[in-house]
Amino acid sequence: MSLMTMIIKMSEGLGKTCAIFFLTVLFSLPLGMIVALLRMSKVKVVSAITRFVITVLRGTPLMLQLLAVTYGPYYLFGTTVARNKLIPVVIAFSINYAAYFAEIYRGGIESIPIGQYEAAEVLGYTKFQTFMRIILPQVVKRIMPSVTNEVVTLVKDTSMAFTVSYQEMFTIGKQIANSQTSFMPFLVAGVFYYLFNVIVDYVMGRAEKRLDYYK
Amino acid sequence: MAEDKINMTDGGGQPSILGIRSLQKSFGSLSVLKDISLSVDRGNVVSIIGPSGSGKSTLLRCASFLEFAEGGDILYDGQYALRDGVYASKAELNRFRTRFGLVFQNFQLFPHYSVMKNISEAPILHGEDKEEVQERAFELIKKMGLDGKEYAYPYQLSGGQQQRVAIARALAMKPEILFFDEPTSALDPELTGEVLKVIRQLADEKMTMVVVTHEMPFAKAVSNRVIFMAGGVIVEQGDPLEVFDNPKEERTKQFLRVFERA
Repeated sequence: MSLMTMIIKMSEGLGKTCAIFFLTVLFSLPLGMIVALLRMSKVKVVSAITRFVITVLRGTPLMLQLLAVTYGPYYLFGTTVARNKLIPVVIAFSINYAAYFAEIYRGGIESIPIGQYEAAEVLGYTKFQTFMRIILPQVVKRIMPSVTNEVVTLVKDTSMAFTVSYQEMFTIGKQIANSQTSFMPFLVAGVFYYLFNVIVDYVMGRAEKRLDYYK
Repeated sequence: MAEDKINMTDGGGQPSILGIRSLQKSFGSLSVLKDISLSVDRGNVVSIIGPSGSGKSTLLRCASFLEFAEGGDILYDGQYALRDGVYASKAELNRFRTRFGLVFQNFQLFPHYSVMKNISEAPILHGEDKEEVQERAFELIKKMGLDGKEYAYPYQLSGGQQQRVAIARALAMKPEILFFDEPTSALDPELTGEVLKVIRQLADEKMTMVVVTHEMPFAKAVSNRVIFMAGGVIVEQGDPLEVFDNPKEERTKQFLRVFERA
């Protein structure tokens, strides 16, 4: 198989790689905020349970979580394994990344001085207005570098979907590598991920710059 | 105590803007405010002085509902916000909040907002007409000597300028009484003057104010009344000339001597 066919074949999986990536970003960013708020809940039981869930999600391999979400229902309830693996893959990724984002958000929220809340309170902002208008925008700016880090990791982590044989780019590459006994597909995959992340870096850099108008 | 009976009305029989009676507040087992009583009449400036840890700031924070007291009364314009240790409803407290403004030691401007937005957002959120509020904001900015800084961000301003924005932000809410919690303590010495000047100007306009401060000459010159606090009680209060030049209590003398030596 020529290098060109290899690249073309693997490119066909890029769409699915992108699907995992964008859907995970779409779901995990807001989900992470919900988890962060539960984690900081004043109700002790809620924050304790959330804290436990976060430690499990961060403390076990993503690969295991992928397998659990994809095949778990079959072993537990005898339901058929989803034909479109994108759904369990995105669910597993979103939940896993939400746990990481939640901790980033929490760090950001807790870094805002209490005086900001007090100033808003005295000026008559409601709790919701205070969070949405005063706290959140400052949090977003502070956590941008950490979020970029996670997003860059996510690009590479999409390759993990091969464990449930979802036909994304890396899975296809791995199949070609096996059938052709060639290392070439892995190099191609590496270049793909690198280029993907160059774009991610650029976009996130632009976003960070847009928040540069204040300190 | 210099005044053992607190008169909750001013001379004309009008209720004081702010009345506090037997206020008690503790943090855990530490009693920070022990039986504090005072009243502030319309158009008056009351300065609160005293060593750190005496409860001055806590008193202001209780009056502005940032801390909650365990006992006593707080009245705004004769209406109870706190009665015998029991607070009014949340909705009522919110209505009381529109009566006062608070200027913090560390300004607490919103860093992601321009000067204009810092000043104008709260009144707009309260349902006031946007253009009217912005016009008022322009006037306040001018009054604070900050012309041309309307669209600057807090980080682009000096500490003194930031504090003046914070004062404008509080004034934009049209409070009946303005609290200052050590407004110049976070400023370099050469910047305190410009902030004190603004407060003095407000005093001349008969703005009702309570100022917690370590600026003794300022307190003496501007206040109608000075309260000296120590150890969670009001040790002495009265006319500034009396308190500063002729203090009756030993604790007050001791405190003021430290400043003379400095």
